[in-house]
Amino acid sequence: MENENFEQRTDLSKLSSAVEKIKATLSKIIVGQQQVIDLVIAGILADGHILIEGVPGVAKTLTAKLIAKAVDVKYSRIQFTPDLMPSDVLGTPVFNPQTAGFEFKRGPIFGNIILIDEINRAPAKTQSALFEVMEERQVTMDSHTYKMEEPFIVLATQNPVEQEGTYRLPEAQLDRFLFKIEIKYPSLEEEITIVTQQHQQKTADQLNDIKPVLAGADIIALRQQVRALYVEPKILAFAAQIIHETRNNRSIYLGGSPRASLAIVNAAKAIAAINGRDFVTPDDIILVAAPVLRHRIMLTPDKEMEGVLPDDVIAQIIQKIEIPR
Amino acid sequence: MLRTAPLFVFLLIANLCFAGPDTPAVLKKIIVKKDTVAVNKKPAVIITDTTTIAQRSLDTAALNKYKRSPEFKYEEKYDGPSWWTRFWRWFWNWLGNLLGRATKHEGAMSSFFLFLKYFFIAAGLSALVFLILKLSGINMMHLFRKKPYSTLAYSESVENIHEIDFEAEIEKAIAVHNYRFAVRLLYLRSLKQLSDNGLINWQINKTNTNYVYELTNAEQREAFKRITLQFEYVWYGDFLINGEIFKRINALFSTFKSSAE
Repeated sequence: MENENFEQRTDLSKLSSAVEKIKATLSKIIVGQQQVIDLVIAGILADGHILIEGVPGVAKTLTAKLIAKAVDVKYSRIQFTPDLMPSDVLGTPVFNPQTAGFEFKRGPIFGNIILIDEINRAPAKTQSALFEVMEERQVTMDSHTYKMEEPFIVLATQNPVEQEGTYRLPEAQLDRFLFKIEIKYPSLEEEITIVTQQHQQKTADQLNDIKPVLAGADIIALRQQVRALYVEPKILAFAAQIIHETRNNRSIYLGGSPRASLAIVNAAKAIAAINGRDFVTPDDIILVAAPVLRHRIMLTPDKEMEGVLPDDVIAQIIQKIEIPR
Repeated sequence: MLRTAPLFVFLLIANLCFAGPDTPAVLKKIIVKKDTVAVNKKPAVIITDTTTIAQRSLDTAALNKYKRSPEFKYEEKYDGPSWWTRFWRWFWNWLGNLLGRATKHEGAMSSFFLFLKYFFIAAGLSALVFLILKLSGINMMHLFRKKPYSTLAYSESVENIHEIDFEAEIEKAIAVHNYRFAVRLLYLRSLKQLSDNGLINWQINKTNTNYVYELTNAEQREAFKRITLQFEYVWYGDFLINGEIFKRINALFSTFKSSAE
């Protein structure tokens, strides 16, 4: 979206090109789900971790795997199971007979893109192992701190908590995810395309043919560009007001944290950059409000029993706030 | 009975089998020793109580003091109802008579008393509802208002778009070279124009994109998209704007204004 009256202030051509490449790669396999893809890309550009939720069989893991394949960085996959231990994720000190000392054997969390599949099948004990690494990008073991390499992205998938054998993730961990993206069932047309592609055996071949389109260093550079985007003070206040209202709403038991305020602004910047703007508009804030907040807020028990969804409450909150203009 | 008979027989046989011979008694010779402890017996002496007894009497002064104390007066003297009670009794009697008279009078007086009766009933019920709502913490403003905010209130921006003299304000802003503010006013004027013409439904919680999609005329929508883009670059993007750029932007707004009339 260019404006002929103003000279370009920030060169977003590299970012736009990278986004187009990732979208094209994902679109080879994923049918539809454009908003999901946009949000995943925005999450990566905003330096956040992403939680993808959906019922079994809606290509949660496939989306995460494709993102990992599209970026040329170290990729690890951890399948979360009920008997998984924190040391299985982080690593553990192992005795080395040659040196007669303990050496730290790094766990699968030491990578750049970490796919945690079915994250809510592990209990809280294992989840708590992720707290430090997700927020501080480091692992402390035996009073020694191991820094993670940049970029460090956790892409987690989960089934809705109502499903059998799942645990509710701790609030502290949910707050560490920038987005919770919900993948819905495809439309009838999309479903026909999926079945047709599978019938023609296109999907299986193409999955192996996916080549990286972006390097880790590119992601770091693009993130710096996104971070530098301009946000009008009134829009910052608008974002803060949304979060503030979640703390005063009667339907909400636990509102958004200051981390949510930061997340909403960072995510809005990424969306603005994807749309070719170097400044944020209220539309960007509204677009990311639900994915940023839906996993951070907790509804009151009576509202949950009534079947009210967090997205409904977030929409009501936004409707009460004046758009800065 | 028949069922327990074998059990009885079994127990009898078992008793006979396990019963041993009588244990012979062990006889020991008991030697009785004579007690040789000497007992020193003393003659009994009767001791008489010789202490003098001082007879005490009640302190009459203290007793009278207690008797005078109201705390120890258990008999209540009833002087009739207090003035407060009498007042309320009188009030309720008066009210009862007043309301009762409604049916006794005829014509205009009857209607008046009837009105008074229902007025008091309505006032009482309203007070009760008010009290319940107040105690339950329900915001009455939200209860009776359809939408949380007025559709035209524009509190944040100080101005209300329906009250601004846009032409004068725009002239003022241009005169002081505040082009950024002038563009904002031009955009608000466009929104007002669309709202006045019934093309958009002005609400404070709607974004510019919402208004773009509300326009049904494709040509008008494109024109509005163009001016929205200018406004967003200047207002949200904080792009520097000089007189020359403003002229071009102002021309776009003027074209839109004339097309939307």
